[in-house]
Amino acid sequence: MKRPLLRSEVVIDSQTLAVEPDAASSWERLEALYRSSRDDVYAYVATMLRDRLAAEDVTALAFERAFRKRRSFDRRRGEERAWLFGIARNAALDELRRRRRLATLVTEPEDTEGATVEDGAEVALRRTTVLGALAQLPAREREVVALKFHAGFSNAELARVLGISETAAGTLLYRTMEKLRKACHD
Amino acid sequence: MTESDEITTALAVIDATLSGEAVGPEHAELAELSLLLADGREAPEASFAASLDQRAARRFGPEPIPGERSPRQRARWRWMFAPAATVGLAAIVALIFVLGSGSGPRPLVQLYKGLSSGPAVRGAAASTSTASASAASPSGSASAPAAGASLGTKSGNGVIASPAPTPSTSGRQIVQSAQLSLSTPPSRVDSVAQQVFDVVAAQHGVVQNSNVTATTSYGNAQFALSVPSANLSATLNALSQLRGASVVSRSDATQDITGQVGSAGRQLAEARALRTALLRQLAAASTAAAVSSLKSQIRDVDAAIARNLSTLQSLHHQVAYSQIQVVINSVGIPGLPISGSGGFTLHRALHDAGRVLVVAAGVALIALAVLVPVALLVGIGLWLAAALRRRRREQVLDLI
Repeated sequence: MKRPLLRSEVVIDSQTLAVEPDAASSWERLEALYRSSRDDVYAYVATMLRDRLAAEDVTALAFERAFRKRRSFDRRRGEERAWLFGIARNAALDELRRRRRLATLVTEPEDTEGATVEDGAEVALRRTTVLGALAQLPAREREVVALKFHAGFSNAELARVLGISETAAGTLLYRTMEKLRKACHD
Repeated sequence: MTESDEITTALAVIDATLSGEAVGPEHAELAELSLLLADGREAPEASFAASLDQRAARRFGPEPIPGERSPRQRARWRWMFAPAATVGLAAIVALIFVLGSGSGPRPLVQLYKGLSSGPAVRGAAASTSTASASAASPSGSASAPAAGASLGTKSGNGVIASPAPTPSTSGRQIVQSAQLSLSTPPSRVDSVAQQVFDVVAAQHGVVQNSNVTATTSYGNAQFALSVPSANLSATLNALSQLRGASVVSRSDATQDITGQVGSAGRQLAEARALRTALLRQLAAASTAAAVSSLKSQIRDVDAAIARNLSTLQSLHHQVAYSQIQVVINSVGIPGLPISGSGGFTLHRALHDAGRVLVVAAGVALIALAVLVPVALLVGIGLWLAAALRRRRREQVLDLI
């Protein structure tokens, strides 16, 4: 089976950035980070919010904040992607809070039919089932799935973004997968 | 298999699946679920992606307006103006500092004095010199201040010389006096004392008595001066500006003795009139007894005239000459150059530089003592606020 694309086509050489942090300016580093993470951030935020327009706004806001706070990034506190997703996470949570206050939370999952035009009917059905089950998960569990499967984070990076231990992050992911599996069976 | 093992296995299967590696058939369901989840990843619409790319190219700055400087240009301008603004701010602060103090170098010395802790004691070799009155003056029978006497006092470390207050006489007979307390390093007591003599001579006054004691670690001098009242203000100003000394306190006192002068004048006139009358009686006297009696009365009147004359002259002298008490005490660290203390040497410059550093360190220490607790409180507050904000954000994950 073809390996799914987890990150954007444009992938930065993170090793180069790590070895030669002073060679590139903060702008250049951030622009490279943008190119490599734009779609991942969007996918993560979209899964969190379940609203395409809101996801676009929050994604743009996250990058805007990242560009504004580029000097506050401290490599000793984690990788740049984790830092960026931390900003995106805060923006997404703020949006969720705002929408909750306004009581206009969109609860309907996105229509996934369009993405399955070329797939077989059985695969399309299974995908719809899985995404439907995902949409019914609490936000915290949806977030874990988004970070793992849509942003392509390792368990360690996932833990760093969530601010929990790697073990706790692994356990959370396992239980979420179990929940999804059961929901799909139901 | 424990739950922990199950978790480890499941996580390994997920990672292997996402990496495109094969997994065992017993994990096929989990692998398929993982792939379906990854495949369900939403991609941004092309229009949004293009729009975001444009904003990223502008580094999320505002839309460029033709003719307006770009953010980078503005940053460069800010960078260029920052030093100028800092220098300007420093100049303004310095100007306020200088204007607020009234003179240039003195505030620094005062600041230093405020921080330094009294005179430092040095070694032993002492030399004492005592000077007695260089000129006699009529002993002014200084009576207690009568009604109408006034007293003005100025005190404080490093009082800047200011014109001595001059009472408006307008025909009144005013006795003026002043007390001046100076401070100087022990090594400069002799020099300052000599300057006192010079000032008194220049103002045509006299040093009624003086006492100067100077050692390497301690010095003291006291002077009783008498200067023409017309020169009192100039004398006090000159004494307040002696090189190497600073004024600690100054007192000015006045006493109106117009009544006493008038009374003495009237008594003198009466005595003179009586003498004239007695002389006439003496010229007309015919008997020896009368002549003897009149001569005796005339002698008494002459004595009274002399007393009244003396009193009157004394009062006039008190009015014409003012008394000044000058006390010089050694303070501070020996060798500290006080404002106007003479020439510039490399040693003094280094000494000053050292003192400036000490003062700066002291100020920094005080500032630190204030800032550290404040910064601690602010830090705790910020930490609590951040924790609260994070908690509120996290709460929404459990509510949706």
